[in-house]
Amino acid sequence: MTIDLEKQLRDALRPAAPPEGFAERIAARIEAVRLRRRRLSPPFVWVPAALAASLVLGFVALHQWELRREQQQGLQARRELIEALRVTGEKLDLAYRGVSDASRPANPDDAGT
Amino acid sequence: MTDGAACAVTDLLSEARSGDRAAFAGLVRRHQRAVYSLALRMLWDQHKAEDLAQDVFMQLYRKLAHMQSDAHVASWLRKVTTHLAIDRLRQEPRYELVPLEADPGVPAEPAGGDPLLQRRLRALLAQLPPPARAVLLLRYQEDLDPVEIASTLDMPVNTVKSHLKRSLSSLREQLGEGFESAAAPEGGPIT
Amino acid sequence: MKVRPRIPVLVLASLALLPVARAADGQLTLPDFKELEGKASESVNITLDSSLIALATRFLDAGKPNDAAVRQAIGGVRGIYVRNFTFDTNFAYPKEEVDQVRKQLSLPDWQPLVHVHSQKDHNDVDIYVCIEQGKASGLAIIASEPRQFTIVNIVGSIDLQKLHALEGSFGIPKVSLEDKK
Repeated sequence: MTIDLEKQLRDALRPAAPPEGFAERIAARIEAVRLRRRRLSPPFVWVPAALAASLVLGFVALHQWELRREQQQGLQARRELIEALRVTGEKLDLAYRGVSDASRPANPDDAGT
Repeated sequence: MTDGAACAVTDLLSEARSGDRAAFAGLVRRHQRAVYSLALRMLWDQHKAEDLAQDVFMQLYRKLAHMQSDAHVASWLRKVTTHLAIDRLRQEPRYELVPLEADPGVPAEPAGGDPLLQRRLRALLAQLPPPARAVLLLRYQEDLDPVEIASTLDMPVNTVKSHLKRSLSSLREQLGEGFESAAAPEGGPIT
Repeated sequence: MKVRPRIPVLVLASLALLPVARAADGQLTLPDFKELEGKASESVNITLDSSLIALATRFLDAGKPNDAAVRQAIGGVRGIYVRNFTFDTNFAYPKEEVDQVRKQLSLPDWQPLVHVHSQKDHNDVDIYVCIEQGKASGLAIIASEPRQFTIVNIVGSIDLQKLHALEGSFGIPKVSLEDKK
């Protein structure tokens, strides 16, 4: 019996339903965002200097955090790259030594004959 | 989709763009299965999938003004979901094993057929590297063709085709004999 | 000692950097090696796709000779995947997981370059290259040692001569083709 793999994949991957209340939870998050924005936007255009300063500091801190995170990820990737090259070189070395040993004559006295 | 239904969807989008919360909720319900399923089958964890899916819809809410049509929303959601999922998988510990016993990705409306085989397929899919996993999901869950998949994942078309070919071959190897592709029919009809 | 180089080993160096084919074959689908990992005392699992390689490259210091050499060695590389397992005792590897990889290497695109078997040291090293449209698009190394098992898959083309130039740096061993006396 031949089974059609692609059809089986389509059947296996029919969409799954999200947990109950999923759409409601998103609506609640949106509502929370709206309320936060409303609190930050009083009827008056005037924004206290301290609030403006802390917003700016917040953005700067976030930016710094993102830069640090990227640096950590980049350094980690660099470490892994070098480790990968080290392992590659080690195994190539194993192969080279094997070939080199095989090409050496078994009995030194046979060399050159 | 009928003209009437298409109009209703377009109205939903334009109303959501103008701030109608009920309309946005309608958009979420329209697309939630696709987004959640993609996230779930990429991350293989219900909580992480719901977190990711929620983040995706929050991004959609912020970008509503840029959405031109329902098709645009659908393709944007697929793109963001898969990219976010691949990013999150990259940040996870490399040695985390896939718990094959749990299968969080059971379809809401099963197609019939062999549920054990389908469960095994989903589990094998979860073991594929994230880019290959995303390619298969976009092909067989979302029914995209290789060009559309390449555009969604910002990947060359040939890379998509390679992933499809290698992954299907690997799945066949792991499942054993008897599995063929519809593209290369052999052995006659299914009995 | 059995050695069956399909192509003389010096040719390995000359395969150093062939233009990369546009197709992205050359990448193996690696299993999760659950059984091997369960038995290993140490394991190394490295997955670097093109974006991570690009990120890593940004953190290579072009002013340092070693980092510059790494940059040159990996200029054509689009992915590096390493699975390395170390065991406390001599270990017989379960065939199934390794065979999943070997089956992929039996496909027409993959050609064996070197097969080294040492009965004395009980080592086996197989090196394969993926050729597409006459160009190298991947390299695979499978190394079985009594207490270590390694698979390396490099997607794209790695400059082996430049890798050779890194010997002695970063812990990369010296690879010499001269007789050792």
